[in-house]
Amino acid sequence: MKKRVWIKRTIASLTAGLMLAVSPAITALAEDLPYDTYNYDYRLNVVMTPAAYVPTRSVTGQDLGIDGFTEPQDLCVAPNGEIYVADTKNSRIVVLNHNMTEVVRIIDSFVRDGQEDGFRMPQGVCVSENEQLYVADTDNKRIVVLTPEGEFIKIIDNPQSEILEDDFDFTPLKVAVDYADRVYVIAKNAFEGILVFESNGQFTGYFGTIQVKISLWEKFWRKLASKEERSRQQLFIPTEFTGIDIDSDGFVYASNIDSDGVQGVRRLNPKGEDVILKGDKANLGGDIQIGTYGTYGGPSEFVDVVYREKGIYSLLDRKRGRIFTYDREGNLLYVFGGLGTQRGTFNTPVAIEVVDDQIIVLDAYQASILSFGETDYGALINDAVALRFDGDEALAIGKWEAVLKLDENNELANTGMGKAYLTAGDNAAAMKYLKLGMNRKYYSIAFKRYRNAILKDNLNLILTVVIAVILLAVVYQKFLKKKFSIGRKKKGAREGGLAQ
Amino acid sequence: MKELFSKDKWKYAFYTVSHPMDAYYEIRHRERGSVPIAIVLVILFSFTFSINRMSASFIVNDVDPLTVNALPELVAVFLLYGLFCVGNWSITCLMNGEGRLKDTAIAVGYALIPLIVCFNIGTVFSWFVTEDEGAFYTMIVGVGIAYGVIMALMGIMQIHNYTLAKTLVTIFLTFVAMFIIIFLALLLFDLLNQLYSFVHSIYQELIFRV
Repeated sequence: MKKRVWIKRTIASLTAGLMLAVSPAITALAEDLPYDTYNYDYRLNVVMTPAAYVPTRSVTGQDLGIDGFTEPQDLCVAPNGEIYVADTKNSRIVVLNHNMTEVVRIIDSFVRDGQEDGFRMPQGVCVSENEQLYVADTDNKRIVVLTPEGEFIKIIDNPQSEILEDDFDFTPLKVAVDYADRVYVIAKNAFEGILVFESNGQFTGYFGTIQVKISLWEKFWRKLASKEERSRQQLFIPTEFTGIDIDSDGFVYASNIDSDGVQGVRRLNPKGEDVILKGDKANLGGDIQIGTYGTYGGPSEFVDVVYREKGIYSLLDRKRGRIFTYDREGNLLYVFGGLGTQRGTFNTPVAIEVVDDQIIVLDAYQASILSFGETDYGALINDAVALRFDGDEALAIGKWEAVLKLDENNELANTGMGKAYLTAGDNAAAMKYLKLGMNRKYYSIAFKRYRNAILKDNLNLILTVVIAVILLAVVYQKFLKKKFSIGRKKKGAREGGLAQ
Repeated sequence: MKELFSKDKWKYAFYTVSHPMDAYYEIRHRERGSVPIAIVLVILFSFTFSINRMSASFIVNDVDPLTVNALPELVAVFLLYGLFCVGNWSITCLMNGEGRLKDTAIAVGYALIPLIVCFNIGTVFSWFVTEDEGAFYTMIVGVGIAYGVIMALMGIMQIHNYTLAKTLVTIFLTFVAMFIIIFLALLLFDLLNQLYSFVHSIYQELIFRV
């Protein structure tokens, strides 16, 4: 028995070695990974899939030859590829090179009006397209704008407006900047939404307020309750945003913790309206099948979002340490990651970013940056979705075909194949794949074409049969009925009275 | 038995569909109905229902085929049918209904004919429709259900010689009675369970001590 296992293992490792030798891309055996990769199918069952991303390395401060990070809270990738880490408890910003192999510089102080100034617990960091560094200097209650080298440019603090309460305490947590240098700030206790500042530092208003949902039942109880009771009830306040990112069109992606587990991310247009597409499942809340009790139960809690490219974005769940990736239409592409102490798992994930084809995640407790590389499977899905985003569905068919070889139940791939066949005019094949992909709308279109083609081809036969049947019926009625009905009782059931 | 399944009886079941008022009157007063036929119809309905859920086209049918199981569904349909008949009988007994238990059973059983027909037609029809024509499928099934409900209503009205208002009231009370029966059954089951465990523990004590 033991020998058998040994042989099996040898074969497995040999094959793995061979595969590694043959393909330059990363190949992972499921048993080597500390987490499962899965997705939800049409009926919301969990379906295990091949790994989409595998842990490649983790970087701590010591690895880089500096003091370790202490509860770092945010990550940002600059346009030039450098990676900025908000090393919160050390009150500094650490800049790493593109490959995260060495420290480019550490910014822990700057000269402002001739005086030395520093950060206190900076929790957010962002580099704008114009290469300006924005730091959410949390405990100093201000946003510090610097050049990437650390030269002081300006400070945004103490927003003044009628819409703000008099005792409003501006405590910035996360910051993002769009192409017009508008600054979006998530601040503590700013339940009305994201604070927006013009490029001159002028506060312009709140943005993307999350509406509070009160059920009819809660309304009913509030009606019944007395004023005193009502004052002691919990307040209905909207959830705060947790993470923010801006896509290439200037739309703001903002994650939030949704206690219903339905929508944990918003895509806000310049007016602040949510324009995200929620997909067929109408769910952007991460895990759908969840336990109810314990620290591991309850809906996913998204702490950060990263817009990747071609409409794809990833969300980081701190509850179960998972990364959810959706496409522009709101389809869940893959879920991976987990909490734990093994290599490639998280303890307290706080921020997510993308560097080339790597996903990097900052863990506050482990004080390290974990990176994940895409596998063949993940790359194929990303490419196919990107091709669809560009409108090249015909080109995507090859990718989807390859995805199906790795994961034949992938509904997105089946739908993609079906759509391609539909465009090519092969309705029967399209029907097969669209049914496997559980895409009712397109299946119906394929079926309609298929059915109408059959009807058209056999119209002569069908009409002949119909006319023949009518003729037969007429003949039967006119000439034969009498003959057959001789001797049969004319009495129907009604006149029969008691039959017995 | 042969008599109860005779050709005449079968014909009469279909006559009931086209002339419910008259036919239900005769079922009550001239023994034209047949309980075995009604039970056969219930079985047929149960299978029809399962078949519809199982094999109606993907376009109109959102049921996971893995969740369809004809036998438990047959049991459930029979339980509901029996419960409704008993509930209705117990209520109408108290409310001057003229019908007997067997009349209710026949009335409800025969009222399933339009459902059986329409569900089956709908299932076959669904294989040829697209999404925008799905409304026709819904209509076919809907007509079947509506006709069945109207037939059952007429049947109960006729066999008990009620007015429409009184029929509606008794049907509402029938559902109340069904709930009471379920409640009592659960209570009884629980009690029996406790009794069993009591006896069982005594038995075990004896086994261990003696």
